[in-house]
Amino acid sequence: MFKKLTLLAALLGISGAALSAQEKIKEVVTSDYNRNSISMIALQRGDSYDSQAASAVRNFNLGEKFDINDIRTKTIRIGKTRSESLYQEEVDAAVAKAGLPQEILAFIFKRDSKGMMTDELVRYRGNYDAKDQDVINARASRVGTDALGDLGHGLVSGSYVVLPDFYKIERNTDSKGNVSYSANAQAFAYKIGMDRNGLDNFYEQCWIYEDDDQPTRESKLKAFRDLDIEMVPVATVFTSGSGKSVEAALQSCLSDVIYKLEKRIPAWEVAVTIIGKRPLRAKIGSKEGLKNGARYRAYSYTEDRNGNLKSVPRGFLRATEISSNTGMSIGETEPSKFYQISGLANIDEGWTIKQSNDLGLGVMAGLKVGGTGGTGFGVDIDFLSNTSNVGTMSYVFFSLGMDLAHAEYLPFQAGLGFAYGFHLTRFVELAPYAMIGLEHMGYSSTDKSNDRFTRESALLLEPGVRAAINVAYPLQVVAKAYYDVLALQGSLYRMYNEYVGHKSGLGFQFGVKWTF
Amino acid sequence: MIALTLLMTFSAVSASAQSKDRRKSFKSWDNYEITTEKVGVDGTKFVKVWGFGKTVDAATMAAKANAVHACIFRGIPGSATAMSTPPICPNPNTLDTHEDYFQSFFAAGGPYLAYVSMTTDGVPSGTDKRKVKGGYKVGIYVQVMYDNLKRKLEADGVARKLSSGF
Repeated sequence: MFKKLTLLAALLGISGAALSAQEKIKEVVTSDYNRNSISMIALQRGDSYDSQAASAVRNFNLGEKFDINDIRTKTIRIGKTRSESLYQEEVDAAVAKAGLPQEILAFIFKRDSKGMMTDELVRYRGNYDAKDQDVINARASRVGTDALGDLGHGLVSGSYVVLPDFYKIERNTDSKGNVSYSANAQAFAYKIGMDRNGLDNFYEQCWIYEDDDQPTRESKLKAFRDLDIEMVPVATVFTSGSGKSVEAALQSCLSDVIYKLEKRIPAWEVAVTIIGKRPLRAKIGSKEGLKNGARYRAYSYTEDRNGNLKSVPRGFLRATEISSNTGMSIGETEPSKFYQISGLANIDEGWTIKQSNDLGLGVMAGLKVGGTGGTGFGVDIDFLSNTSNVGTMSYVFFSLGMDLAHAEYLPFQAGLGFAYGFHLTRFVELAPYAMIGLEHMGYSSTDKSNDRFTRESALLLEPGVRAAINVAYPLQVVAKAYYDVLALQGSLYRMYNEYVGHKSGLGFQFGVKWTF
Repeated sequence: MIALTLLMTFSAVSASAQSKDRRKSFKSWDNYEITTEKVGVDGTKFVKVWGFGKTVDAATMAAKANAVHACIFRGIPGSATAMSTPPICPNPNTLDTHEDYFQSFFAAGGPYLAYVSMTTDGVPSGTDKRKVKGGYKVGIYVQVMYDNLKRKLEADGVARKLSSGF
């Protein structure tokens, strides 16, 4: 028995090590990034929401990061009630029947009714995608910069189709009669199953030349119709959204869909190398959809003793100043600037940085002492609104606190504030802030008057300073010191406060913060 | 206990030897990779070449020397888009025969630098800049002024002119 167990453990150990080794090989991050193209197709269910779903998808702006393949198919119908979500197999079957690969190729190669094609768009996209190194390489070679357009042929394999499906769309009415809508969404992403060999075959079998005779043309037209190219499922994401109209709710879902797909499809994550320090600079910008505060992760490379390449994560950085690089590269692209927010080592020239999307939302939770009084619990949710080259960061935050010592009066504080963080080092942030809000005390009562809430509240002003120290990014230890000022106290608030005893004063909060 | 100590000593010695071999292989003049990137403009070769050094700058300089070395002694392999290029000095004894000449030609800041230009955009980057034991291994794009290099070596009597065979 003991022998069997030992053998089993050894086998598990070996297979675990093998799997781990495989995983490590997969983990090599490179700076190879090329533009991808997308076609958006709305999935329809055959109900009254179909037109709104189609309209939301049609009007959704994908930004500058992606090229658009404006194919003929805009909607695909799957007959299923909208109260249920779709299964992958159902969408796979519908996509397989739709002939999307032919439509994508027809769009990319501007195929006309006679089957004639041109590589004009492909060459344009190749030129647009060319990096400075490509331009320099082209200048150093005999083919010259005219050949940059050829890079576009490699981009055909980066053609994707995204099919959003909306379900459980609900109409909600609040107590004042305001109507809003909520919806769940699922998006299915497919990639054209065509590598370089497939593309070469396509050129050979389907490309009609001016001097082709009629039988050759017929056979090439047939070859195009019969092209056996798969749409390969690459990711499925779920989300939900809400809005004042159905279309607004659906649109809010779509923004999140792209954000989530970027995290699931590695080829969509922008990767580039650092070209300079102080400040950190990299040749990406608006063309790659870069926005202030966007988070990237840095990697350096090592070789192990067997010569295997390994990428080593070295910390995170955020975009600060975004360059406008939406033209064709001439070898002198203006770089965007970044600020390092974590990592023990200073990010160096030549390291790769790769898009690592986050929401920029920090959630801090901790214990409060002092302030208006008592010991309590506080939660802050902050949103990073701006990052500068020198590491100053602006936050808008919502704060909620409770006095646990007087729970019978349910005293809580809520407020909105603005914080401006200075980084003393990349590990330590000091952020003065100001908050305005209210402190409320409630007590079981039969009073149902409209102004009861106001009478039970007091205006709260809170200037303070917050210090955050990176422990293991994105985890930080946070301490706050603040001065609570209570003003404009309501009549009921004053009455309850005689028992509770809250007053203006100095307070502290200690806790941890996680950035999502 | 003695056996364990012996085993550990043996493993340490073996690992150290392996590591030394690897370092030696990095430093060896003949151990570098070079590939033809594309057909260069007239009179030039456009290649990607690797070098090893204690710092990135030293590795970059080594890569440049390697590119010129390849043109003279090894030749440049072909690629999907370019034919291979034979060495300027195909005679394997050339290096020994003209050892002093090449010592000074490839010296730090030596004449070889006039025949090679780096075309990498900025510093070696991404997977072309690797930390390895003892330093860095970098890959750079370079343009070698092949025809000029050949004429120089012919003029200095190191390489034979094609016409000399007739």
